[in-house]
Amino acid sequence: MLFSGIPFLYFFLPCVLILYYLAPKKLKNSVLLFTSLFFYAWGEQTKTVFLIISILLGYVFGLLIEKTKTRGKALPRLFLVLSVVQNLSFLCYFKYTDFFISNINALTGLSIPLLKIVLPIGISFYTFQMLSYTVDVYRGNVKAQKNIVNLGAYITMFPQLIAGPIVRYADVETQLEVRTHSFEKFSYGVRRFVLGLGKKILIANRLGELCDIFRESGEQSVVFYWIYAIAYMLHIYFDFSGYSDMAIGLGNFFGFKFIENFNYPFISKSVTEFWRRWHMSLGTWFRDYVYIPLGGNRVHFLRHIFNILVVWMLTGMWHGASWNFIIWGLYFAVLLTIEKLFLLKLLKKAPIINRIYLLVFVAISFIIFNADKGMSQAWTDIRAMFGFGGLPAISAETVYYIKCYAATLIVSIIGATPIPKMIFAKLCEIKNGRGVKVMNIVEAIVLPVMLIVCTAYLVDGSFNPFLYFRF
Amino acid sequence: MNSKIKNYLLSGIFLLIVAFFTTSYFIKGTSDFSDAERRALKQFPELSVKTLENGKFMTEFETFSLDQFPMRDTMRSIKSVFERFVFANKESNDLYYHKGHIASLLYPLDKTMLDYALERFNGLYDRYAKQGDAKVYFSMIPDKSAYLADEAGVLSVDYKEFIDYMIAGMPQDIEYIDISDLLSADDFYYTDQHWRQESITDVANAISDAMGNPLSDEYTKVTLETPFYGTYYHQAAIPGVSPDSISYLTNDTIEGCKVSLLDGYGKMAGSEMYVLSYAEGRDPYEMYLSGAQPLITIENPNANTDKQLVVFRDSFGSSIMPLLAESYAKITLCDIRYIAPADLANYVDFENCDDMLFLYSTLIVDAATALRK
Repeated sequence: MLFSGIPFLYFFLPCVLILYYLAPKKLKNSVLLFTSLFFYAWGEQTKTVFLIISILLGYVFGLLIEKTKTRGKALPRLFLVLSVVQNLSFLCYFKYTDFFISNINALTGLSIPLLKIVLPIGISFYTFQMLSYTVDVYRGNVKAQKNIVNLGAYITMFPQLIAGPIVRYADVETQLEVRTHSFEKFSYGVRRFVLGLGKKILIANRLGELCDIFRESGEQSVVFYWIYAIAYMLHIYFDFSGYSDMAIGLGNFFGFKFIENFNYPFISKSVTEFWRRWHMSLGTWFRDYVYIPLGGNRVHFLRHIFNILVVWMLTGMWHGASWNFIIWGLYFAVLLTIEKLFLLKLLKKAPIINRIYLLVFVAISFIIFNADKGMSQAWTDIRAMFGFGGLPAISAETVYYIKCYAATLIVSIIGATPIPKMIFAKLCEIKNGRGVKVMNIVEAIVLPVMLIVCTAYLVDGSFNPFLYFRF
Repeated sequence: MNSKIKNYLLSGIFLLIVAFFTTSYFIKGTSDFSDAERRALKQFPELSVKTLENGKFMTEFETFSLDQFPMRDTMRSIKSVFERFVFANKESNDLYYHKGHIASLLYPLDKTMLDYALERFNGLYDRYAKQGDAKVYFSMIPDKSAYLADEAGVLSVDYKEFIDYMIAGMPQDIEYIDISDLLSADDFYYTDQHWRQESITDVANAISDAMGNPLSDEYTKVTLETPFYGTYYHQAAIPGVSPDSISYLTNDTIEGCKVSLLDGYGKMAGSEMYVLSYAEGRDPYEMYLSGAQPLITIENPNANTDKQLVVFRDSFGSSIMPLLAESYAKITLCDIRYIAPADLANYVDFENCDDMLFLYSTLIVDAATALRK
């Protein structure tokens, strides 16, 4: 079930809200757990069993790790290793088995049949959440959850179950026990949810259409390649950040405060800064559970480079079982290493060039990211972008589609920066803060209208998948 | 408005909108058919252990929730307005609006469709014309985008390339009748893809002339009072577009013709050239020769020849054929979207056919998979 779908908006959500707010305080987490399992089973049916097994095992391992801490380090470590192996084996089986088989076939000339395993939705997200839980229990950062309903509600909570943000147990541990509900929170939730819905339906989907048109075009040109690169980069951003906004908004409906996942990544001045602003919950997860345990940067130079390569290869693999994702991750590893070595200092002294550098290299990265037909496709696309594809600079079709999508591109470019937020803040400050009252009225009109317009788009169209579901 | 009131108001409006649409589902009940979209709407899916287990219920419920959405047509209009005025998009759902006309975007040229159509047409020719004495003619009807697209600034196929490709792919002993220059955008309805019968007498003359039967009859134009909202009107869902008016041309010859069509039992049943009751229905254009029909015969007892004509055609043929009736004792209209070519031999006298005409619009050729094998 998609957040940006009619069954979710007008069937599932109202039912959950009614059940949740009618339920006594003690049963609220139970309502969240069971409605989330329903939400998951709606899309995955029988594969819900694997989610339930993961929760049960995570619950048991968490308790065992904590209980055995008094008996030395060996047992807790054993249970942690078992938990990590269990979680990663589920993930590897579903996500990487066919990838490994096809590579073995390619290397050895064998023809081992592929298993054609269908990836359960959200497995990459909930596996990482479960791992963070058991590791944090082992480290003593959090206490093991004694109530399986609370742990189940944390893992399955539908707002963040299938496409993040990767909420860590430590961040919601207290909220699972005690949280408040208010109109202020609910209203903030409405704001984030509707804005996220608008980002997804009114911007990301339209940019996705433009990318599809480009791919099917028989009249490609160098300019069209650049338009595609920009549109795809923005499409991914609005799709994923829109989903995160909706998740955060829904969290607020139920009294939770989730971490932010994006912070205007395209205004970064370096790749290093970009990854502090893009998919932040994933970046910090790899930092805390892979990079730092490997030694981080407090090791000798070559080991440091090795750590970076491992983290970014895994980041790439997390996004998909395909070589283009691994190369995408390693591409960032190389850029980050170069920046650490010398480029970061130079970029700080080049105010406009640093932004152009970031946008061009990120645009190229997403060309690799979207090369679902393999690296040869990415190479062809990148060559064509720089005029080596034997294409004309521009074509009539390119001009036409620029005109058709100009408004969307302009809105999305401005919307990807803090400019709208700054304008909103400035307007609120007018007449010593009296502007707030006017902007409150504007907000109370614009957001409901946006919800209705988004609904109209949903009713009229069927193209609506979230990109990050496949991860 | 202070922030506290805003919080109450925003939460309240959000919940009201959600509650309104949710309860409206139950209050309005389900509809079987959408007049606007001319299609059956999805009904509540079968609920069983099997359909839950294999996910069929969930998939079909999604379609059901979209098809049965309260005020579906209004919502589609809201989207259309937003696309046009906020995103300044020239087209929506492959339709565009220009100077009162709603037209379909025909782009890019899909030669696989053209090849598919040519395969069907050549198959008909080989089966029914190759061995006979009939003279065979072919004419393509450019859709109205051929006359609007450039002015509207939307993409369009190269119609000359389109038609030349079709001519080159047809048997070489067929005579092509070019009607492109006789048409303009205003010869088509504003809200529908079809041409207006009252505007195509010159086209009928050209076709009849080319087949060696100049027309001489005069017509009386009868305009119906019912407003005509064409298929594009409903598909585009653009609010505020004026309806068309629908007219038909008649005279003694047309009124004297006997029209029969193939009924559901495989028998030819009596009908009329213009079925006026259809003008009140969901698609008024169906008044011409009863709309979508696999096989129709028009017999003219007052014809000035005893010649017989067989026409392979699409819906554009329905409104022009009454005008050709003057010159033929019998016209047989075959629409292979609704009857398999092989079955035509059971109903059509191809041996006594004097002329054979392939008359197709570019729209149908571009969607040639509708033609049966």
